[in-house]
Amino acid sequence: MSVSRLSPSVSRPHEEQASPAVQSRIGIRDVTLSYGALQIIGGISLDIAPGETVSIIGPSGCGKTTLLRMLAGLARPTTGEIVLDGQPVSGPSRSVAIVFQDYGKALLPWRTAAGNVSLALEARGCPARERPEIIRDLLAKIGLSRHADKYPSEMSGGMQQRLQIARCLAQEPKVLLMDEPFGALDAMTRQALQDEVLALTAATGATMVFVTHDLEEAIYLGDRIVCLQPNPGRIGRIVDVRLPKPRDQLLTREDPEFLRLRRDLYDLIKDDHQ
Amino acid sequence: MNRLSFRKLALGVLTLVLFILGWKLVTDARLISPIFFPGPERTYAALVKGLSGGPLLAQTVETVERMLYGWLLASAVGVLLGALIGISRRARAFIAPTLELLRPLPASAMIPVAIAFLGFSDQMVLVVIAFGALWPMLLATIHGFAAMEPRLYEVSAVLGLSRFQVIWKLALPSAMPMILASLRLGLTISLVLAVVGEMLASRAGLGQSILAASRSFRSADLFAGIVILGAIGLCGSRLLSMAERRLLRWQAVHR
Ligand SMILES: Nc1ncnc2c1ncn2[C@@H]1O[C@H](COP(=O)(O)OP(=O)(O)OP(=O)(O)O)[C@@H](O)[C@H]1O
Ligand SMILES: [Mg+2]
Repeated sequence: MSVSRLSPSVSRPHEEQASPAVQSRIGIRDVTLSYGALQIIGGISLDIAPGETVSIIGPSGCGKTTLLRMLAGLARPTTGEIVLDGQPVSGPSRSVAIVFQDYGKALLPWRTAAGNVSLALEARGCPARERPEIIRDLLAKIGLSRHADKYPSEMSGGMQQRLQIARCLAQEPKVLLMDEPFGALDAMTRQALQDEVLALTAATGATMVFVTHDLEEAIYLGDRIVCLQPNPGRIGRIVDVRLPKPRDQLLTREDPEFLRLRRDLYDLIKDDHQ
Repeated sequence: MNRLSFRKLALGVLTLVLFILGWKLVTDARLISPIFFPGPERTYAALVKGLSGGPLLAQTVETVERMLYGWLLASAVGVLLGALIGISRRARAFIAPTLELLRPLPASAMIPVAIAFLGFSDQMVLVVIAFGALWPMLLATIHGFAAMEPRLYEVSAVLGLSRFQVIWKLALPSAMPMILASLRLGLTISLVLAVVGEMLASRAGLGQSILAASRSFRSADLFAGIVILGAIGLCGSRLLSMAERRLLRWQAVHR
């Protein structure tokens, strides 16, 4: 794929390529993963450009989370390799943030919402006097301003999910991996956060890999949609999303192209489930 | 104070009153010779006399100091050592079995060893207290670290937290409920060993005073000492409970 396919309206201040040879931010090269004799991922190759958003869909248990974990450096491919900016990924790093699917376990129960976001700032050595303002901004972005002093045990599932997103953003990552981050949200909050995330990636030039079960969400957010098939997990099809940017909750969803994509994907998924 | 805790307090006080009444009945009926078993009034009188002008106050301070120093030493060493062992899975696998083997050793068995090295001194008693009270804290810290949510280790790796930050900001707070419970246990052990140590090494304090009272058949003084020891234990454990509630505020799910 080529970078030029991305809409020019997307500004990418971070994007100074180290060398002309580096074309993709993330390279997935013939990756397989097995637990013992059981193959979970069976040969995936994919290049993701800087600033691109790739949606991943696929039936439950097809290996979406496993793939994200490998991209984050939390799991090692059995064969093949993952490349970030031309460098093989050998472990987790601050430049790749991941929003875990099980949001309840990923938060520190003894820290308030503000404290949880602060952890990411402390980790990257952000001076203490600069933290409150950054935390306030981030919590405002994801709509948790009024809950800064609440502990996770006092927050709803959707609030915990949003808090985890805020902490990932505080990391200022180049790559944002999201594992069904909006699963526990109501429709309105969900749409607001979709736009917020798109605005953020556009402003920072972050690359995003977004796992979702919601076809419309996959289309709305993605520059491309990767459909995984199970047993073992592999790419069934890659669909380009040629919708204008910035996306708009009403206009985009009424676009004939959007409706066509939704129909295509629906048929595809239905076939997989038979 | 809400109604529930008021009722709990009232019940507690009632039980105490009943206990003292029972004690009085037993002594008044002369079931046991008053030479060995004083009634509550005589004990109270000895208590007042000992605390105002008598040696009891100074002895109490001695024992409390001894207990606190030993406990603090044990806590510091226990949590520090536990953190160093607990943070590394390999160290845990290597060292934990040995610790489990050493732990059931009664601390009193250490006393002769400590005497051999340090003689009948305050340091000897301190070492015995610290050694005996060390185990709950050490093992609670190791187990607390081991029980940390694995996802949080992954979070720390992705955020790029240093090893020290992982210990200080993730593992310690996550092990805190276990550590705080062990601190309470450790304080009780410290008190017991402070008394035993004073008796064996004849260092000043409540232990020695109780022993002396019993040898000279001053049973009221003996019981006064025991009452104070009970009060020390109660206060210590209450204070730590309060600290626990404050530190673990985040745990209460529905306040
Ligand atoms: N540690 C493990 N050991 C063995 N098998 C595992 C392990 N982790 C995951 N699996 C298996 O790998 C497969 C893919 O799991 P994964 O969590 O990646 O699926 P998923 O696509 O994210 O599913 P969902 O949509 O339900 O979240 C599943 O069949 C699961 O049983
Ligand atoms: Mg999953």
